[in-house]
Amino acid sequence: MLNLSNFVQKAQQLLDPTQSLNITDSDRNPSKASLFQSQFRLPSSQHPLYEITAELTIPPPNATQGERDRDRGYQYAGKLHLSESYLCFSTTPSSFLQSASTSTSSIFTGQTHGGGPSGNGFTFPLSAVRRVERLHSQNFQFALAITTWNGISQDAAKDKDRKDLKEQRITIQLAGTRPACERFCDGLKKGLRSNVGNVSKLKKVVSECYSEYLLRTEDEKNANPPDAGLGMLFKYPGDPKKLRDRAKMRLWAEYLRDNGRNLTLIRQPTFHKLIRVGLPNRLRGEMWELSSGSIYLRLENPTLYADTLTKFSGQESLAIDEIEKDLNRSLPEYPGFQSEEGIGRLRRVLTAYSWVNADVGYCQAMNIVVAALLIYMSESQAFFLLSALCDRLVPGYYSTTMYGTLLDQKVFESLVEKTMPILWDHLVKSDVQLSVVSLPWFLSLYINSMPLVFAFRVLDVFFVEGPKVLFQVGLAILRINGEELLDATDDGAFISVLKSYFSRLDESAHPKSENPKLRAVTRFQELMVVAFKEFSGITHSSITESRLKNKDAVLNNIESFAKRTAIRNLGPDSKLLSADELGALYDRFYGVLYERQQRDHILQQEQARRAKSSRSRIPEAHHPSDDHGIEKGRVGLGPSTSLMDYDAFREFLAAMSKWAISDAPTTPRRDNFGDKQGGFYSSLRRADASLSPWGTGPEPADHEFLQRLFRKWDTGSTSALTLQNVVSGMARIKGKRDIMGTINYFFELHDDDGDGKVDREGILRMSEALLFLSRRGLEGTLSPPNPAMNVSGDGLNGGSDAPGQSVNERFLGSVSAFIRRCFEYADPDHPHNQNAIQDVQERLDAQRLEDSAAEELVNPDAFAIGDDDEDEDDDLLAMDSPTGSPRAAAKRSDHSAGEPPALQLNSSSTGLRTDDDAMVRRRVSKAQSERANAALDPSNPLHITLPTFRMVVLADELLEQFFESSFPASFHIIEGLASSATPTSASSLTTFSSLGMGAGRAVNAALGGGPGASAGGRGLRGVLDNIVTDGMRVAAEVRRRMEEAQKELEKNALPGQRNDEEEEEDEEEPGFERSSGAGKGSAYRGDAERRSVRSSDRDLLTGADAEASDTINRSTSNIEGSGGSGASDGNGSTTKNAEGAGKVMGVEFDG
Amino acid sequence: MADSGNAPKPSSSVKLVLLGEAAVGKSSLVLRFVNNDFQENKEPTIGAAFLTQKCNLPTRTIKFEIWDTAGQERFASLAPMYYRNAQAALVVYDLTKPTSLVKAKHWVAELQRQASPGIVIALVGNKLDLTNDEAGSGGDGESPGVDGEGDARKVTTDEAKTYADEEGLLFFETSAKTGYNVTEVFTAIANAIPETSLKTARGPGAAHAAARSEEQRVNLNGARDQNAKDGCAC
Ligand SMILES: Nc1nc2c(ncn2[C@@H]2O[C@H](COP(=O)(O)OP(=O)(O)O)[C@@H](O)[C@H]2O)c(=O)[nH]1
Ligand SMILES: [Mg+2]
Repeated sequence: MLNLSNFVQKAQQLLDPTQSLNITDSDRNPSKASLFQSQFRLPSSQHPLYEITAELTIPPPNATQGERDRDRGYQYAGKLHLSESYLCFSTTPSSFLQSASTSTSSIFTGQTHGGGPSGNGFTFPLSAVRRVERLHSQNFQFALAITTWNGISQDAAKDKDRKDLKEQRITIQLAGTRPACERFCDGLKKGLRSNVGNVSKLKKVVSECYSEYLLRTEDEKNANPPDAGLGMLFKYPGDPKKLRDRAKMRLWAEYLRDNGRNLTLIRQPTFHKLIRVGLPNRLRGEMWELSSGSIYLRLENPTLYADTLTKFSGQESLAIDEIEKDLNRSLPEYPGFQSEEGIGRLRRVLTAYSWVNADVGYCQAMNIVVAALLIYMSESQAFFLLSALCDRLVPGYYSTTMYGTLLDQKVFESLVEKTMPILWDHLVKSDVQLSVVSLPWFLSLYINSMPLVFAFRVLDVFFVEGPKVLFQVGLAILRINGEELLDATDDGAFISVLKSYFSRLDESAHPKSENPKLRAVTRFQELMVVAFKEFSGITHSSITESRLKNKDAVLNNIESFAKRTAIRNLGPDSKLLSADELGALYDRFYGVLYERQQRDHILQQEQARRAKSSRSRIPEAHHPSDDHGIEKGRVGLGPSTSLMDYDAFREFLAAMSKWAISDAPTTPRRDNFGDKQGGFYSSLRRADASLSPWGTGPEPADHEFLQRLFRKWDTGSTSALTLQNVVSGMARIKGKRDIMGTINYFFELHDDDGDGKVDREGILRMSEALLFLSRRGLEGTLSPPNPAMNVSGDGLNGGSDAPGQSVNERFLGSVSAFIRRCFEYADPDHPHNQNAIQDVQERLDAQRLEDSAAEELVNPDAFAIGDDDEDEDDDLLAMDSPTGSPRAAAKRSDHSAGEPPALQLNSSSTGLRTDDDAMVRRRVSKAQSERANAALDPSNPLHITLPTFRMVVLADELLEQFFESSFPASFHIIEGLASSATPTSASSLTTFSSLGMGAGRAVNAALGGGPGASAGGRGLRGVLDNIVTDGMRVAAEVRRRMEEAQKELEKNALPGQRNDEEEEEDEEEPGFERSSGAGKGSAYRGDAERRSVRSSDRDLLTGADAEASDTINRSTSNIEGSGGSGASDGNGSTTKNAEGAGKVMGVEFDG
Repeated sequence: MADSGNAPKPSSSVKLVLLGEAAVGKSSLVLRFVNNDFQENKEPTIGAAFLTQKCNLPTRTIKFEIWDTAGQERFASLAPMYYRNAQAALVVYDLTKPTSLVKAKHWVAELQRQASPGIVIALVGNKLDLTNDEAGSGGDGESPGVDGEGDARKVTTDEAKTYADEEGLLFFETSAKTGYNVTEVFTAIANAIPETSLKTARGPGAAHAAARSEEQRVNLNGARDQNAKDGCAC
C-alpha cells in the first residue's frame, strides 16, 4: 500500500533543508527538483510529482481590480504542478517532468519584466486547500474548483465573520488527456489526504502574519497585533508620509482581500506592481518571507526557531563570541539597536542560525542584514529568511571561505567590462580594483551602503526577483556615476564619488528640468529605472552562466590561498619536509576527505533512490540528481570537515605506500593524482566513483601497524588526525632522513607505555610490522650485498648468497634473525630472572644444535651452515667484546650505537648467514618447536631497550638499509603510487598476510598466557619458521610472476593486445592478483578506469548524460535568446472558456 | 601661486593595507593615526574600511590610502583583493599574544610571495601599554602593567626584532591606546617608499592624482616646521 506521508517524511530526511545550495554541479546540470523548488521558492523537501497544462480562473472580486470582464473574472493559462505538499500554478510555462528538457525547466530564469520568477499564479500548501470539487465542463474536460482556508484564523471567531469573509474559490480547467488528468487528480487526492495533519502548523504560521490582523474588522482587532518587527516599537525608518505608507497599506488590504493573503495569496500583475512601488512598513516582513519562500520553511517546522534556542540555551561557541563583538555595531543609527530589546533579538536570531547551520556559523555582515530584517519582521521570520538567504538567494556569501562573495564580485566585474567597457578600461588603467568598492554592496545587500529607506526598496525587489537584482542595481550605480568615476584615479576618489551619490539619493535626478514631472523624479527612482530597464538583459540565467564560467578560477584562488595559509601555519615540524612534500600532503589530506564525502553522498543517494523506488509506485518519484551538496567537501567551499578518521587515514596511506594496500582482492586503483594539474578537484569530480566504499582506489590494508601509526600521529587522542598531525607524523619518518631517528621512531611506535622497553609481545609485533611493511618488496636504495661481502673479506659465506636470491627474500631472513636476536639479547624484566633468561638462552642454543642435527639428516649439505650458525655469536662477540657474553655485547653496543659503519661491515655477513640459517630451520619439526616454546615461557618476562633494538637492527645490513632508506622511501608523498615505478599490486601475498594477522596473533596469545595460552602447540619458532617458509615460497612466487609479467610486457608492448591480457587475468590462480609489471600496470589501470565509468554509468548516472548535453544546448541558446521568455507573463494569453455548470463530483476534503 | 618659496611639494598617494589577527588593534592604530583618537570601534566593517591621511615629509607629501581589513578569520580570503596593488603594508600583532605573531609571520610570507614586489612592510607589535616597558605604559594611569601586577608581554622585543631583521621589515612596538610610536610607524613607511615606486606604481593616473591633490591642498608653514622634525601632520 502506498504511504505517501511516509514517503514525504523520508524525502524530508534525505534532503536536509538546511543543506546549502552551493554552486555545484547541480547548477551546471540542475535537477528538475531544484529548478522546481527555485521557481516556486519551495523547500528542498518538495519535488515535482505531477504537472499538467491548465487554465486558472479567478472569480470577479468584490472590489474592482481593473478593467477586466467583471462576469468572468480573470483567466490565466499556465501549468499546474503538484509536489508532496504543494499545489502550484504559474503562467510561466515551465516543465519539470523527467522527460522535459532542461531548457523548459529553467525557463523561469529568463527576463522577468517585473513579473517575478514565478510569474502569476499561486503556491498553495496542500494543508491550505479546504475542498476540491470536480466540475463538469462543457468540452468534457476536467475542471476542478478549489476552495482554500483563506482567512483561517478568522474562522475560529464568531459566525458572523464568516459571512463577511467570502470563501476563496478558484477553478482550474485541466488540459490534458483523460488518463493524465486522472493521474493528476489521484495524486492531488493523496496529497490532500496526507497533508490534513498539517493544518495546525498552517494555523500557527498564519497567525503570525500581519495580513491576518490587517484584514480584520476594526471591532475584532485585538490588542496584540502580530509582531511586524522592531519598527512597531521604535518606528520604521523614513517618514511615513513621504513614503505614502497609508496609501500603500490600503492598496495592499484591497489586494489581499481580493486575492487571498499570506499562504493563500494569488499573484496577479498588481502584486508585482505593488512590490515595485515599495512595500508598506507593516506588511514588508510578511511579503519578504512570502516572496523569498522562507514562509514555507517556517511552515515546515514552525517551532524550529524557539526549539533551537531552547536546545542550545547556555551553550557557548566561537560564533557566539564573534556575534557578541558585532552586536553594538549593527545598524547602530537605528534606535531599536541602541536598546537591549533590539540587541537581544539580533543576538538570538544570529545565535540560533549559527547552531542550525554550523558550517556557516556567523559571518560579519550577517549582523547587518539580520538587523535590517528585524526592523520589519519577528525573530522567527528573520531566522527563516536568513536561512533562505544563505541557502538560496546569496549562496556561499557568508561561508567560511566566502567563495560566493568572491565569485559574485568576479561576475560583477565581468558584467561591468561587458556593459561599460570605457569605465572598465579606466579602472584597469588607474589600478583601482572595483570589488573593493562593490563587495560591501553585495555582502550587505546594499543595506550598509544606501540610506536604509532605499536599501529596503532594493530588498523588496530582490526577494521577489532574486540575486540578479543586486547586479542590476550595482551596474546602474556605476552607469549613473560614469562621468565622475572616469575622473577618479584612485580608491579614495572612487569611493568618495559613490559615497556622495548614495547620500543624495532622495534629491531630484533632474533638478534643473523645466518639466515639473521630471523634476519630481528622485535619484533613487532614476536608479531603479536604469537598473531594471537599461539592465533588463541581466537575468538569472545570465548570472548563473557567468557564475559557472568563473567558479573554478575563484575556487582555485581560494584553495591556493587556503593551502598557502595552512602550510605556513603548520609549525616547526613542517620545516623538516620540503615545500613540495607539504603541498602534496595537503592535497592528499583534503583530497581523501573530499573524495570520501563525495562517495558517502553518492552512496546515500543510491540508498535513498533504492528506498524510494521500493517504497513508492509513483513513477515520477525518481530524483536521481538531487545533488545539492555534491561538492560539500571542497576546500574552496569551506570544508565541512578537516579531520581524518582511521579509515580515511588508511585510504590516505594506500594512495602513497604500497604496503598500505590490502592483500584482499582489490578493486583496481585509479590514477587519481597523476593528472591533477590545475584541476585537482575537477578530475575528482568525474562522477565515476563506484559504489565500493573505497571508490575506485585500492582497498587499504588494515594492520596493527597502521593502527599504531594512527594512534601515534593522533597526538590529541581524538581518534582523528588534523593536517598538522599528519605533517608532524610524516616529518618524523621522512623529515630527518637519519637512520637513528627512524629506528627510534619505530621503537617508540611499539613502546606502548613509553617506558623505553618493548616486551616479548612488542618484539613480535615489531617483526610482524617489518614483514607487513616489506611484503610487497623493499624500496629505496639498497646496496647490493656482494660488495659489502668483499669489504668484510668474509669469503666463507659468499657462496651461500645464491645469485638469484632477491633482496626481498633476503629481508625475510633478516626479519627472522631479528626476532631471534631480540630474544637473545633481551633483558630480563627483573634481575632475578637473569638466570631464567640464561636458561632460555642455553636451551635456544641447544635447540639450534639439534635443529642442525635434524637438518643434517634431511639435508647433508646443510651441515656447514649449521656451523656457521654457531659462528654467528662469535662474530658478534668478536665485533664488540671478544671475551664477553652476548649480554655484555648488547650492553656495549649501547654505547657504540653511534658507530654504524663498524657494525655494518660485520653485520653484512651475519645477515646473510641468518638468512641461510632460516632456510635451514624452516623444516624444523613441530616437536622441536614445542620444546623451544618452553624457553619462551611467558612467566619469564623480558624486554628489549632502544639501544638493544638499535644494535639488533644495525647488526643486519638489510634491516639497517630498511630503516635508513627503504621505510622512509616507501611513502611516496609527492608522486604517489600511480607514477611510481613499482607495480602497486605486484602480488597479493595472501598466505603471508594471514600469518601476519592470524598466526601472529596466535603466537601472541600463546606467549601472553592469556586465554589463548593453550595454543602453545605452535611454538614461536614453528610459527616463525612457517612465516619464513611461506614468505620464501611467496617471494619465489612473486619473482616468478614478475618475470612472467616482464615477459608479457615485452610481448604485449602493443596496446592493441589488451584482450589477451584480460583473458590471462581470468586465468590467474585464485589468491593471487595479476602480477603486472610497471608498464603493464598503468595500461591496466587505464582499462580499469574505463570499466568503472561504465559501471557507474549503469548504476548511478542514468539520465545525467542526457542532462549534460542539454546543458550545452542551453548555454548556447541562452546567449542568443535570453529575452524571449519575458513575453510569457500570462495575461496576454487568457482564454475565454466559461466555467462549467457546477455539479459537485469530487470528494470533499475538509480539514 | 602666492609664494614661490613655499611651492607645493611633490605629492603622491600610497596604498597601505593593514593585516593581522582579529583584535590585535589594527583599527585602533588607524584611528589613532587618522583621528588621534582611541575608542571602541563603532563602524561596521564589511570587507575592509577605507581611510586616508596625509603625511608630510621634508621633501614630499604622502597621502596614505589605508585599507583596514576586517577582523574575522574568514575574511582572510578577501585579503588578496586589498593587498594586491598595495605599496605598503602594516602587519600587526598583539605583543601580549604569541599566536598573533605567528599569524603576522604568515601575512609577511603571504605578502612577500603574493603582493607587488617592492612592497614596504612594517611589523608592528601593538598594545605596548600592557607591558612594563616605560615607553609604552606611560600614557594611561590605569595601565595594568604598573607595579608588581606583572608584565602582560608575551613576545619579547628581541624575538620580533630578530625576525623583522631577517625578513627585512621595519619594526615597531606601539600602543594605539597611548599613541606611543604610532605616527613613527607611518612616517617610517613613508620614508621607506622609494621615490621611483611613487612615480610609477600608480600608472598614468598617478601624475593626474598628484596634480589634483596639490591644487586642493594649502600648505601652512607652521605645520611644515613641525613636520620637519616629527614627520607626519597628525
Ligand atoms: N590596551 C590596549 N588595547 C588596545 C590597543 N589597541 C587596541 N586595543 C583594544 O583591542 C581590541 C581590538 O582592537 P581593534 O582595533 O578593533 O582590533 P582589530 O580587530 O585588529 O581592528 C579593542 O578592544 C581595543 O580597545 C592598545 O594599544 N592597547
Ligand atoms: Mg578591525
